Amino acid sequence: MAAEIVAAAITDVELMKASQIGMKALGAGMAVGLTGIASGIAEMAIGSAAVGATAENKDVFGLVLLLTVIPETIVIFGLVVALLLIF
Amino acid sequence: MLTPRQMSRLLIVASKDRMGTVVNELYRRHLFHIEDFVDQANPEYDGFKIGTPLAGATEAATDLVNVRAIENTFSIDSEAFVAKARPAQTAMQARIESDLPAITSEVEALTGRRARLETGVKENEQKIAEITPFASVPVDLDLYSGYFRFVVFAGYVARDVTIAVPNEKFYTKGKNQNFIVVVTPGEHRSEVERVLQEASYQAVTIPAESGTPQSRIDYYSGQISTAKKEIEEIQAKIDGIKQKHAEFLVACEEVLKCRVEQTEAPLRFATTHETFVAEGWVPTESVADVTQALEKATGGKIFVKELSVDYEHDSVPVEYDNPSFAKPAQMLMDVYSRPKYTELDPTLMVSIIFPLFFGLILGDVGYGLLLLGMCLVLRKYITGEEGTLLIKVLRNASISSIFFGLLYSECLGFALPWSPIMFSRHLKIGAHTVGHGPQIPELMILAIWIGLLHITLGRVLGMANHARQDHGSHRTKAILANAGWIFVMWGILLVIWSMVQMPYMPDFTTLPKLVLTLNLASIIGAVMLVAGVLFIARESALEIVELPTIISHVLSYARIVAVGLSSVAIAMVVNFIAIGMLIEPQLESITIVGVLFIIMGVVVFLIGHALNLALGILGGGLHSIRLHYVEFFTKFYKGGGKKYSPFGLKRRFTED
Repeated sequence: MAAEIVAAAITDVELMKASQIGMKALGAGMAVGLTGIASGIAEMAIGSAAVGATAENKDVFGLVLLLTVIPETIVIFGLVVALLLIF
Repeated sequence: MLTPRQMSRLLIVASKDRMGTVVNELYRRHLFHIEDFVDQANPEYDGFKIGTPLAGATEAATDLVNVRAIENTFSIDSEAFVAKARPAQTAMQARIESDLPAITSEVEALTGRRARLETGVKENEQKIAEITPFASVPVDLDLYSGYFRFVVFAGYVARDVTIAVPNEKFYTKGKNQNFIVVVTPGEHRSEVERVLQEASYQAVTIPAESGTPQSRIDYYSGQISTAKKEIEEIQAKIDGIKQKHAEFLVACEEVLKCRVEQTEAPLRFATTHETFVAEGWVPTESVADVTQALEKATGGKIFVKELSVDYEHDSVPVEYDNPSFAKPAQMLMDVYSRPKYTELDPTLMVSIIFPLFFGLILGDVGYGLLLLGMCLVLRKYITGEEGTLLIKVLRNASISSIFFGLLYSECLGFALPWSPIMFSRHLKIGAHTVGHGPQIPELMILAIWIGLLHITLGRVLGMANHARQDHGSHRTKAILANAGWIFVMWGILLVIWSMVQMPYMPDFTTLPKLVLTLNLASIIGAVMLVAGVLFIARESALEIVELPTIISHVLSYARIVAVGLSSVAIAMVVNFIAIGMLIEPQLESITIVGVLFIIMGVVVFLIGHALNLALGILGGGLHSIRLHYVEFFTKFYKGGGKKYSPFGLKRRFTED
């Protein structure tokens, strides 16, 4: 009887550990995914304005390409958080 | 090196009859950046007028337009043209007078003849199109017209019609349209018209021709093919002229461009009745040369004086002054903005740090070699000035990637035979994981260190810039504010270090506690923080809201690790899918289906790595340069300098 309880407890602990790893992976995925969406939304407006500006004047291409990637910081932070979560 | 080339302001005064000589000499030296004279803008120049072009300006401009028109006909692009020999300017001038009119008239005659032939071809094609419907009617074309009593209808109808009045009708059923010809006495005209209208009749013009339709079509087709043959001959002749004279033409263009620029230069000078005044900029080390050259050319009948420069108000043109290895980075600077004359020029730092960042991000021997090969190949095809510089920037970056690839021990996502010399970025993807996995925390700390040092360097440069540019109390305040930012950043760090232990960072947690839970390091940190905030607030209280950017800017350098790791991950996943999942299992026992799988694996491998390389260049390049533009330059750099463009031309096709 006692052995069974111990065995059940061990399985519970293992299950807990496994689900914790899963939760971590889930958290990491959400960190990258949600920040990715946020970056996308932010880049959407900049990108369309950038294309318009480039159509008017080709010289600004370098500058607007740069402005377009500025919101990428958000997803980079997400990626950093995810990496720290997993490793 | 860290400042733009030093410039001096020159004033040149001479009598008008020396203007040609002076302009010629300045043009040849290619050093004098003309400050355009603007009428009535400067009270000192009251009574002066803008000069008039020198003799020969109109002729040169007309010739230039002609030459460009011919080049256009030949589709010669002088930008991309590579000439074998460079004739002398004097020889060219004689040839322009003797050969250019002949070539122009020859080309004009040929293109004129070609245009006429092309119009003829179009007209004949139009005639054929008009006759074609009648080809199915077995009647000569001259029988369609010239009647007093009869009316002829010819056109397309939707269906066949039955006409109650006397008539003669010919109907052909076509694929899309049905053609009908009806001849009827004049009195039944309205009746026939009505019947035809019901069948949605569309009239066609009756061609004014004689003979059978087919013979006329053959005749015009013959005409067209003769004309086309002649057009081909003309084209061959034009190509021949192009082959023969292309080099002469680009040289002509250059010589004429020089002449136009020279003859029109007085439009940028101030003149009186008898004299002219030119103001402009010359690199300080060349002032003596230019002065001597002008005096020699005019026999001493010229007044050249170096004016004092008011750096606050004069817009001094800016020319980079960098060692040759740093020159490609000037392109990266110009994309942002050229430095102002009084500002520090960070090109040298960009030229060193940009490749380092790129290498840290891409860090893969295989990708580095591919990129290097790409640069070497592209160098042959890209001839423009900016393109060449960009290729050089990429070349330096690829060498740095190879170097860091060796340190990281990475080649196309595989491990090299040694374990990473620097921190490992090998992720645990697929069955072939070696070592102890990626050292993410260590890499993060490395990125943070890079960020701290880079930003501190930026702030120190900011102090130097304010020291150079500002005056009085504002100067002190601005310098102290920049120091304040450094204090706040390192103060926060000291406080963190005295509370938390971190790898590869100083550990102050073990210092003896002095007051409550605070030890020496945290007290110094707190004092620095408060002092820093005070310094910043003294310059501008609004800046206080910017304080959190200290943390976000430093953390932003984590992208060096994050972008790099994502590229490693893609490479390893590609390898795992291509080799681990598709190729390797099939190699155990080769079957026909297995061969297909292996081919698929190879395709996945190639496409995957090509995509990852493209992403790596884009990611590595954009993020490295962004760290410069956003995190580094915002600390000290304004830009907005005027480009130094000396009067003259870099000759490519002729010699002076």
